[in-house]
Formats: sequence, structure tokens, C-alpha cells
Amino acid sequence: MNKEEIRDVILEIIQDIDEDADISDLQSDLPLRDQLDLDSMDFLDIVMELRKRYKLQIPEADYPELASLDSCVAYLEPRLKDS
Amino acid sequence: MVSYDHIIIGGGLSGLAAGIRLARFGFKVLILEQHSRPGGLNSYYYRQGRLFETGLHAMTNFADPGKKDAPLNRLFRQLKLSRKAFATLQQQQSTILFPGDRSLRFTNDPQVLIDEVARLFPESAERFRKLVDLVVGHDPFQPRPFASARKILTKELANETLADMLLWPLMMYGNSCEHDMDFDQFVIMFQSIFLEGFFRPEGTIKDFIDLLLNHYRDLGGEIRYLAPVKSVTQDAGRVRSVVLASGEELAAKFFLSTAGYPATLVFLGQDDPSRLDQYSGKMSFVELIYLIPSEIRSKLRAEDTIIFYNFDSPFDYCCPDEAVNVNCGVICFPENFQDLTIGNECQVRVTHPANYHHWKKLSQDEYYPMKSLWAKRSEAVVGKIIGNYSQNIVYQDSFTPITIERYTGKVNGAIYGSPEKIRDGRTSMSNLFVAGTDQGYLGIVGAMLSGVTMVNQHLLQTSEH
Repeated sequence: MNKEEIRDVILEIIQDIDEDADISDLQSDLPLRDQLDLDSMDFLDIVMELRKRYKLQIPEADYPELASLDSCVAYLEPRLKDS
Repeated sequence: MVSYDHIIIGGGLSGLAAGIRLARFGFKVLILEQHSRPGGLNSYYYRQGRLFETGLHAMTNFADPGKKDAPLNRLFRQLKLSRKAFATLQQQQSTILFPGDRSLRFTNDPQVLIDEVARLFPESAERFRKLVDLVVGHDPFQPRPFASARKILTKELANETLADMLLWPLMMYGNSCEHDMDFDQFVIMFQSIFLEGFFRPEGTIKDFIDLLLNHYRDLGGEIRYLAPVKSVTQDAGRVRSVVLASGEELAAKFFLSTAGYPATLVFLGQDDPSRLDQYSGKMSFVELIYLIPSEIRSKLRAEDTIIFYNFDSPFDYCCPDEAVNVNCGVICFPENFQDLTIGNECQVRVTHPANYHHWKKLSQDEYYPMKSLWAKRSEAVVGKIIGNYSQNIVYQDSFTPITIERYTGKVNGAIYGSPEKIRDGRTSMSNLFVAGTDQGYLGIVGAMLSGVTMVNQHLLQTSEH
């Protein structure tokens, strides 16, 4: 997957987790949690959804890498390049 | 041998919630339920072609769908169920009644209770407002040793009657200890009942359980009924498989027991009596269920959703010396929710603390007369509060600590489980965890959050899959 596809996947997962998520004016360099009002339980769902879809194991120590949309893409791009 | 990623013991609400959470992320999950029907403490049965709910009087933790951080809405997100599609009905009002005609009314608007406290105890009004702030600012989920809610309330309110009146509904709705309550538990219950409030689903508990069950199955989860677990096999500090009463053996990588901590110790063979006693609750109840013609409601005091009454002085939440204590109890009108249409007949449900051992020792011949005797005694007391309804009963049923034990497996019929909670859900086996009543959260929303939380903490974030 390329950067754009990964970005779309993340947004799709977020909308899947929260039926009310408003992703229309999301700032891609700012923390997702603050902008979308996600708690740590919701955040875990993003990790688990990536695991289910792409068999990708993200260790807990790497969770901070998924803070913003930009950092998610940067972290996932090398890991999903063959997906 | 058939092998799963996860086996969940118990198809009550915590087990179903845990199952949904695991199945949602593609794991192979099996729920084992000892009975022919799911739901555990919150289930249903049919009599005379009519569905009766067990357990459910009202759900706690009411929140509008828009309030994202409210426990109810977080729970729905975690289970990937639409909160907007789940129609809820809020309570009318509830009342706490104490000796000397003292009464406090509350609704799902916390201001009503604040005003009521100011009316009945003007000298304590300011202190009560400060207590509300203290509750709101307190994080009850930090691990801490038991702190006496009674002591903290006595200090904060300087008014023992008010403290007792506040404690009574919160204890009755989910306190497994006698006499006192853990302050963290008090805070959770205060938020759930006084600040968020009572509601019920628009449908029945059966509709709600079916919703969970269908969702679980759609996600690929399996459930087996009439499959009681007898023991587990162990190997080097891990559970390898569960053995059913039928002798069948089923393996999994991880196990979650919602059968209660004492029952879990029995599965593990760690069943020395003193240890079981330590984790066996003493609080059990009898419940009397009446059907009355709706037209007589106008002659009764029937505007509350729930009346929490206590005529004992001093007030003490405990296992009674006699078989039942009718001097205190809960009177519920299950039809009194906003926008609920009332049919030709309506229910009155009355719950009293009861002594398990008195009921346990009875022979079959003594058991039914004993139920009738205490029903009469209860009707005499409850009749004084809501008016006489005993002449108009169309149908009546009751359950005792023995009924609870038989249908839920709760030792001593203790619906709120062990007074000592296993907050972290861990057991002596590294791949066996407990969830549900004995892990700490209570009520329908609480039990489901327990299932979700234990799955999140122990079963999702592991590299062992």
C-alpha cells in the first residue's frame, strides 16, 4: 500500500469504530485522540483492526507512533508495503 | 481435541460482552453456558404465556447517545453496536424512604437530589454539594485498599441519617460486603445511579440478550448451552483445557471465567473450604413478583420507578438473622418508565435481604409454605407504603437464595458475588482470568464493562496468539 491508501485505511477504521466520528476537518499532524475525542479503549481498536486485517502485530511500546494521521502513515508504510 | 483461541466460561452479560470483543477481532471463541439459556443473572422465563425478566429492574448509567465518554456509550462502541439504534426509556422518579417519614426523591437529573437534600437536611446541603464534587473528581479505578465509605461519608456530611439514606440504594444495587461499602465502589455506584441514572431498554431483557447473541454469532463466535464445566487440566502454571460434566475436553490458548471466583477455584481444584468461604458473599435476596390489574394503580402509591425503603433503626445492610428482613426492601414498578405503554396488567416487584442458610436447610415440604409465609409478611409491610394490593393479585411468583444459586451458580445465592474482588482479574494460572461480578463491576452495564476490560487488558495485547 502507498501512503494515500494507508491514510484511507486509517480513516475507514476510525469511522468503523465510532459512528459519530467527524473526520472532515482532521489535521493530519495533530493527535487523533484529542481531535476525535477517542479514549485508550478506542485507540486499542485501531491497533486490533490493523492486526485483524493485515496480520500486523504492533507492540505496546510502539503505540505512540500512531498518535497522528501523519505518524500512523510513516510508521505503517514500511510495514504494509507488501499488503 | 477441538481447540480454540479463547474459551469463556459463562454466557451471562460479562461473558457475552467478552465474547463479542474477541470475535470482533477474528479470534476463534467458544462460550460455555451451563443452562439452556444465556443471560446468567439477567435472564428471563415464561409463566402463563408471559415473559418475566429476572434481575433487571432498571439499568444504571443512563447517558444520551451524544455523550461519548459516558460508560454506556463507551461500552456500545467497544462492542461495535449502534448506541443510536438502541432505544432507551428513562425512569420516572425514585424515592428513598426512612423512619420518621423522611424521604428523598431522585431522577436522572442530579439537581433533583441536590434540592431534595437541601429541603430535608438544610444544615447538610452545602456539605452534600461538596460530596458530589468529591465523587466527580475521584478516580475509582486506581488500585487501592478498602476504604470505608461510611467513615468518609460521616466525615464529609456530618449527618448519619443522610449518609445511610444515600448508602441504602447504592448498597442494594450492588454491594457484596455487609455493613459498609468500599469507597471506590460507592463512587462508581453514586455516579451510575445518582448522577447518570436509571433506564431500561425499550424492549425486554430477552431482546437485549438476543441482540448481543446474534451480534456475537455474526462475528463468528460459538456458544454451547447445557455445557457446565467440571474442572480444568493444568500444565506448568497454565490451563490446558476445560473438562465438561459430560467428560468432553476442550482446549484453548486463553480462558476467561465469569462463573465467579469460588466456582473458578473449584475448577482449579483449589477448593479448600476456608478459601472458598473467604470469597463467598453473604448478601442474598428474595424477590416477590406480582401481577396486578393496571386499573388499581390509581388507588396505589405507584408513581415511582423504584422505592428504596428502610424502617430499621439503626440501618444496617447485612444478611438478616431471620430468613428474610421485610423491614427493608426495594419496591419496583417495572412499567414506570417514561413513554412506556402500560397494558391491562402491571407488575410490582419487591426485593428483601435474605439469609441463604435458613432457606438451604428447608426440606421440599417446608420450602413452599416458608415462601408463602414470608410473602404474606412482605405484603403487610409493603401494603403500608404503597397501599393494599394483596386482594388484587392476578399472578404471583417468587425466588429465594436457593433459586438464585440453582440458576446462576452463585455460591450462597450471593448475586453480588465475593466481598473481596479480584480487581486485576488474575488467577494462579497465567492464561486464566476472571471477569464479571467477582472482578469488581456490578449491574448490567458494569458486568459488560468488566468483560470488555478484562479482554482489553489481558487477551488482546498479547503476542502469544
